[in-house]
Amino acid sequence: MKTELSRRRFLQGTVALSIVGATAAATALAKTEHKSKSKIVDFGLTKTQWSDKLEEIPTLCEMCVNKCAAIARVEDGVLTKLNPNPLFPKSRNMLCARGNAGIQALEDPDRLKYPLIRVGERGEGKFKRVTWDEANEYIKDKMVKIIDEEKDNRSTIGYCAGEGMAEHTYASFMGDKIGSLNYVNHGSICLATTIAGYTLTLGGYGQADLENADYVIMAGANRAEAIVTPDTMDMFKRTKGRGLKMVVVDPRFTNTAAHADTWLPIEVGTDLAFVLAMTHVVMTEERYNKRFCEENLSDFEAYKKHIIDKNYTPEWAQAITGIKADDIRETARDFMAHAPRAIYYQGRRTAWSLQDYQLRRAQAIFSAMGGGIDKKGGIIFGKKLPLGEHSIPSPMYDNALERIEKSKAASIGNSGSWIAWRNTIIDGTAPYPVRAFFAYKQNPMLSIPNTAKTKQMLEKMDLVVVIDTMPSDTVMMADVVLPESLYLEREDPVKSFGGAEPSIALRIPVVEARYDTKPVIEIMRDLGEKLSKPLFEISKKYDESLQEEIEERGEKEVYKEEGYDLADGYRHSQETINHHMVSSVYGEEAWKTLREKGVFYPDMSKYFKKVSANEYEYYPEHKKSYSIIKGDLNNEPYHDTCVDINEIAVLKKKFRTATKKIACALYNFEKRKGVDAMPTWRSELYKETPEGRFKFITGRHGQFTQSGSSNNALLLDLLPENYLWINQRIADAKGIKFGDTVEVRSSIGAIEIKAYPTEKIGKNVVFFIHGFGAESSELTLAHHRGANDNAIIEDVYETTFGSAAMHETIVDIRRV
Amino acid sequence: MARYGMALDYKSCINCKACESACKEENGILLGADKHRIWVGVKDIEGIFPDLSISSSGFEPSQCQQCDNAPCQTVCPTNATYYDDNGVVRVNPEQCILCTYCMEACPYDARYIDDRTMTVDKCNFCSDTRLINGETTTACQATCPTKVRIFGDLDDPESEISLVLRARDHHSMKEHLGTKPKLFYLT
Ligand code: SF4
Ligand code: SF4
Ligand code: SF4
Repeated sequence: MKTELSRRRFLQGTVALSIVGATAAATALAKTEHKSKSKIVDFGLTKTQWSDKLEEIPTLCEMCVNKCAAIARVEDGVLTKLNPNPLFPKSRNMLCARGNAGIQALEDPDRLKYPLIRVGERGEGKFKRVTWDEANEYIKDKMVKIIDEEKDNRSTIGYCAGEGMAEHTYASFMGDKIGSLNYVNHGSICLATTIAGYTLTLGGYGQADLENADYVIMAGANRAEAIVTPDTMDMFKRTKGRGLKMVVVDPRFTNTAAHADTWLPIEVGTDLAFVLAMTHVVMTEERYNKRFCEENLSDFEAYKKHIIDKNYTPEWAQAITGIKADDIRETARDFMAHAPRAIYYQGRRTAWSLQDYQLRRAQAIFSAMGGGIDKKGGIIFGKKLPLGEHSIPSPMYDNALERIEKSKAASIGNSGSWIAWRNTIIDGTAPYPVRAFFAYKQNPMLSIPNTAKTKQMLEKMDLVVVIDTMPSDTVMMADVVLPESLYLEREDPVKSFGGAEPSIALRIPVVEARYDTKPVIEIMRDLGEKLSKPLFEISKKYDESLQEEIEERGEKEVYKEEGYDLADGYRHSQETINHHMVSSVYGEEAWKTLREKGVFYPDMSKYFKKVSANEYEYYPEHKKSYSIIKGDLNNEPYHDTCVDINEIAVLKKKFRTATKKIACALYNFEKRKGVDAMPTWRSELYKETPEGRFKFITGRHGQFTQSGSSNNALLLDLLPENYLWINQRIADAKGIKFGDTVEVRSSIGAIEIKAYPTEKIGKNVVFFIHGFGAESSELTLAHHRGANDNAIIEDVYETTFGSAAMHETIVDIRRV
Repeated sequence: MARYGMALDYKSCINCKACESACKEENGILLGADKHRIWVGVKDIEGIFPDLSISSSGFEPSQCQQCDNAPCQTVCPTNATYYDDNGVVRVNPEQCILCTYCMEACPYDARYIDDRTMTVDKCNFCSDTRLINGETTTACQATCPTKVRIFGDLDDPESEISLVLRARDHHSMKEHLGTKPKLFYLT
């Protein structure tokens, strides 16, 4: 290939979405006169100088969820560059565009700088600066009133969190210490169905060993743009005829599809039919790994009968998925020919359709039929290095009631169903009122389908507290804003990263916090100090068990021993806790190494090798943990000299499922909850796209992380706004040209966005990237830039786990 | 003396723009999409949905080709553009008079105007930010997720880049112009 594209052609914006319109926006950006300063802000884009006062401090990136290891170059106290830290096996010596742009996150003049209390109407964005104590005092007064009025039902305090290393610190304070069961996190808008589907089927979500796989089906997963480590790095070095054969199943032609051997555009919401038909092919042609299935799959024959009885033929699937029957056959055969080094990739933000859970089950079983589970080149579980314990005593509250949306799906776990939970609050079906809401590192105004309803929910609250680093749309709805220090300014709980090459990594501050901000552990501690006594008084009033305890053991002891001192466990510094967690297991030397190098694993100094400028070895081959599940080598009845017994995995393994086998059927789940025991296509759950209308799909991008990085000056240079992908011929027919503003309307709302007509998407689908369209006027660069997908995504969820079904929305398009 | 070049395993490129960002951070390039030393060429895909030609798509990272026979150097009236001892084509901001002849002469469109230093600037293999301090890689090589880039000394027969260029097929851009680029695209 010789494209030889020049800078000018590049700038003309005739090419990929990610750069269209870049020139105009960028020029505007470069000249952004920031309201807080009179001069032009350079957002920290300074040349590195290598001054005498140069420090290189290892830390972990938090521009997205991957947590890549970085080395911060700090010159005279100023962060001038973030470089990749080669020592971390998970990030394999890389920092993506967002990771590099961490400096602009640090330098962002719009950051939250001190605690705030609302002075105007909720949502108006008018706040006054207060001290931490004033903020906590305000929270205390409200909480005491609410919890007293609710007779110590702690669950009246709802709380949510986004993914992050300190998520647990926050969630355990709100859940274990304050005692509320009403927690919602990112799971139900992300990968809850996949985690559940794979765990119930295989005993774990596992990791796709893409470094060694020979074949992968990437369905709806866009690893070139939605970067996941180490998957992204492992895959694309070997695509395009270089060892890893890749089939991309996606309604749009992504940057991942550009690396595919085959691209199968599929009708939105029909992936389950595709997998069932592939299963039918290999079942009827007996192409699966028979020995592995016989030893390790439970109810395999019943599943086989089910698939064949239901007649899930490729022809049947063709009519539903739009993928040719022959392509389905070929993919299924090819997969099994490459098994066990063949993977049906699990996926991440998988909240797509109403049938999502069964889709993930079907994928997992199909993958398992090739034998590539707990196997090099397949889905592996790997090892995780244990850390020491840090336990906190937590009180038992008699009057804390069950979460409000528990009955809204077959199985709602501790992290909830965001949509069902919110809707339960606003539609009045909650068994008791949820009157306060805390948010940490999540921006539900933009991240949960149906923004209008999230706003309605927040408006109903008597107290809204938001902990964040940026003045997001959710911050604008807060009564109290508690500013968190940026990841580059704080130490977070040490984390162990499992896998074939396990390690422990640490985030430590690389610069001093420049504003009046705090890490979460301190925010929780201060709140704890404030709330402990008054909330204990309320429990004393209503909690009979507590009253009895006090009678028996005395108030002082119960308060202390039973964990009513809410700050208990948060008083040590994060560094002290981390030190204990590491040194108690691996010794002082390990702790020293971790702090100096950012990464630690046993024998690191012996194993870690630089192979070339781009390649590093973390563990010698025989020390990598590909197969970890114990089992019996049962080769007697199968003695066969033609096959390598280890290659086809005849080990009878003890998987971590209930039956110790890979579960084809889950009869108990069916009996108790009415969830199909085996993956079954339910046509009543599938909505065809009416003629002339479109299904809307959303997705991620490699230069933009959800709404979290929407105000980042450097990243906006690369991706200034989102565009609507619409089929070129449809656009032509509607008279829509590149850059025209169009309206996208669904049953719940409408947005306006610029159009990007392209043949990379089918005629009945439209797409734009998630995370744009902020309303917050405090985000100078992100404000009203692009469109918010959740303003139009309908708030429907699947009924097994209550996970959002984000690709079920039908929209109309109109040029404005 | 070393003679620096770069080999690009461009088939691994995913157009993530980590290189472009790292370059901006390292070298203090101003904001603005028209201000960058590195970019990724993307070709419009051929075909009509659903029959698209995968092979027509793909990404081609690009930057100054560090020509051994550099047209930009030939036209520069003040010798602001010069060959460094290590073969890197450099620009001296003190001598640049913003005549932009080099911009016109460069067949690869590698140059842009740095409004801060008032120089027609371009990639210099991180000469003044990394190489000068003894670093052996460029910012773009270090950060690239899929490890597209191999930077090194072409005169050292044992260097990684020399080994790879001996072992693998490669081409340079617009070879027919005789500019003798020191960027090599591995096929
Ligand atoms: S993938 Fe990029 S943004 Fe995410 S942690 Fe790694 S470097 Fe940071
Ligand atoms: S960093 Fe590497 S993969 Fe990303 S755009 Fe640059 S060359 Fe391509
Ligand atoms: S690519 Fe252009 S700027 Fe670079 S040396 Fe060659 S002619 Fe000069």
